[in-house]
Amino acid sequence: MLNILLRYTNLIIITLFILSLLSFALAYLFPGDPIEIMTGLKLEELQKLQNQSVNIGYDPEGGVLSQYGHYMSELFSGNWGVSFNSGQPLYEEIMQSLPASIELSAYALTISLILGLPLGFIAALRHHKLPDYTLLSFSVVGYSIPVFWLALILILVFSLHFGWLPLSGRLSLIFDVPNKTGFILIDILMSDIDNKHAVLLDALRHLILPTLSIAIVTTTLILRITRRSVIETLNSEFIQAAYARGLTTRQVLVRHGIRNALIPILPLLAMQFPTLLTNAMIVETIFSWPGIGSWLIQAIYQQDYSAIQAGMLAVSVFVVLFTMSIDMLLRLTDPKRKKVERGTI
Amino acid sequence: MILLDVKNLTLEMDIAGDWIKALDKVNLVINEGQIHALVGESGSGKSIIVKAIVGALPSHWRITADRMTWRGQNLLTMSLKKRRQLIRNDISVIFQNPIDSLDPLLTLGDQLKEMIPKTNLTKGWFWERNKQKQDIAISLLHKVGIKNHELCLKSYPHQIASNVIQKFMIAMAVASEPKLIIADNPTKGMEVTTKTQILNLLSRINQVRDMSILFVSHDLLAISSMASYMTVLYCGQTVESGDLRLLRKRAFHPYTKALLDSAPSFRKDLPAKSALTSLEGTIPTLHHLPTGCRLGPRCPRARRECVIMPVSRRVHNHYYSCHFPIHRDTK
Repeated sequence: MLNILLRYTNLIIITLFILSLLSFALAYLFPGDPIEIMTGLKLEELQKLQNQSVNIGYDPEGGVLSQYGHYMSELFSGNWGVSFNSGQPLYEEIMQSLPASIELSAYALTISLILGLPLGFIAALRHHKLPDYTLLSFSVVGYSIPVFWLALILILVFSLHFGWLPLSGRLSLIFDVPNKTGFILIDILMSDIDNKHAVLLDALRHLILPTLSIAIVTTTLILRITRRSVIETLNSEFIQAAYARGLTTRQVLVRHGIRNALIPILPLLAMQFPTLLTNAMIVETIFSWPGIGSWLIQAIYQQDYSAIQAGMLAVSVFVVLFTMSIDMLLRLTDPKRKKVERGTI
Repeated sequence: MILLDVKNLTLEMDIAGDWIKALDKVNLVINEGQIHALVGESGSGKSIIVKAIVGALPSHWRITADRMTWRGQNLLTMSLKKRRQLIRNDISVIFQNPIDSLDPLLTLGDQLKEMIPKTNLTKGWFWERNKQKQDIAISLLHKVGIKNHELCLKSYPHQIASNVIQKFMIAMAVASEPKLIIADNPTKGMEVTTKTQILNLLSRINQVRDMSILFVSHDLLAISSMASYMTVLYCGQTVESGDLRLLRKRAFHPYTKALLDSAPSFRKDLPAKSALTSLEGTIPTLHHLPTGCRLGPRCPRARRECVIMPVSRRVHNHYYSCHFPIHRDTK
């Protein structure tokens, strides 16, 4: 147990270290002076600050190593520099937009799990029968549709043609919800504004289309993974043996089937998370959802190098931490990988 | 009393578009209290027969039989639910690969307790029932010779040595107090001492608890040490069946003779340093099955008539299917 924890911590630290090196190197690879990119300030401004004897730790003569050390200490103290364009501190901007993305992806992931897992089970249990083929063809179609196109079609149909759902944004402009956590639904529930109910409804209406466009692709993915795993599990010898012992189909499925089918699925699902986040970023841009995706793409358009550098680091750290902790959790709970302790019996 | 009566069981599987008879008119009769041995080379369809009896075959294989009854009840026309119930009550299987046939995610204790029938529990409340289940499980383990029950019950299948898990499988088979235990090659790949333990255990269960055993194996020594009746299988066809002692004394079918001759310990007259006898060739693959008697190409006594499948003939309690059985010669 402790051994596994140590190993995963080690892995995470090394991965994050390499990420920080890459992010540091970006400052040198982007056009412009590295110090400009790392701070987001122009050289003249830095010089001015230096002259005003404000200690910003700017030392152009120091070696790369001391620069890296300084960069890391600033990162950890939450000083990520400012944006070239807006002049706002990047840390605050990212901390505002990242929750919006996480929120969107989390809802999409929840919906896809709720839909994908049972549908996958149904398809596997009716293997080579009509429900299987139907679900499989739906999943092939859903999987093949590009997300941005699907999002546009959804907007075209539900917002423009029928006018049922709002076109973009997180909330109608007439409402004003104080930003506390960055998660819109939680913010609304925590705030003490008038007609909370209406605001909540509005937020949900805004959520439907972006969540749906991400969820459709992820659902098909989960469906296919689940289906394959369940089919394999049901064909395995111990399931046949359980039938041969005279257990009913339900007993076999509930006691032996589901757990064994889910164990190989979960790490695969964790691996789908980066794809999900990428899709969320694209969808955010289309729906002008104020998340990290649209923020980053905006930064790329405007060649806001300091923002790109900090944003990429934040997103990649988040992905690494998330996937690795899921991996570790599964590793710790999987009895198949429990250490073999052969005693004399 | 006849427990299991299988007559002309045929199983066809779909291999690359062709329907191939993996089992061809197999006959098998198991009496109460009997240890019945089912012998055959690897690939002769022994395990498939076992799976066909308990209904653990993939549903897209075609199974037909003139008769397949369990104590007079027809297994083939029975509803799936009823059949499972019957198998749960009356038949237990010890599978060939113990580790693969256990759920890797449940402890052995959970899996053993699952097999204890509800009717054996007398107590009312669930905690009392759990306690009773635990007690029954422990006593079952003791009966099959596992002393450290605590460690065994809370281990996962992959954590246990293979001979212990084989004993555990026997405990699991006995748990439901069946009429028939089907032991599918239970001593596969074991050294002699463990093998003896397992065989003794099975014989004891047969004697003490009056359970019939269908002993599926290709280990002639093990079979002759415990079984009373033997059915020989070749390539999905029942070749000969009869009382083990009679069969050993005088086999009618050339294959049975070859099989018995191939085991040196069965032949007292074998001179020192002489070559061991064996049939030419190997068992055919499913794609290249000969027509008629499937032993044909390898049989030393084969003639033109052998391309037609011989009917099963009977001498007293001794069945064989051969056009030119060995006893004819001696006349």
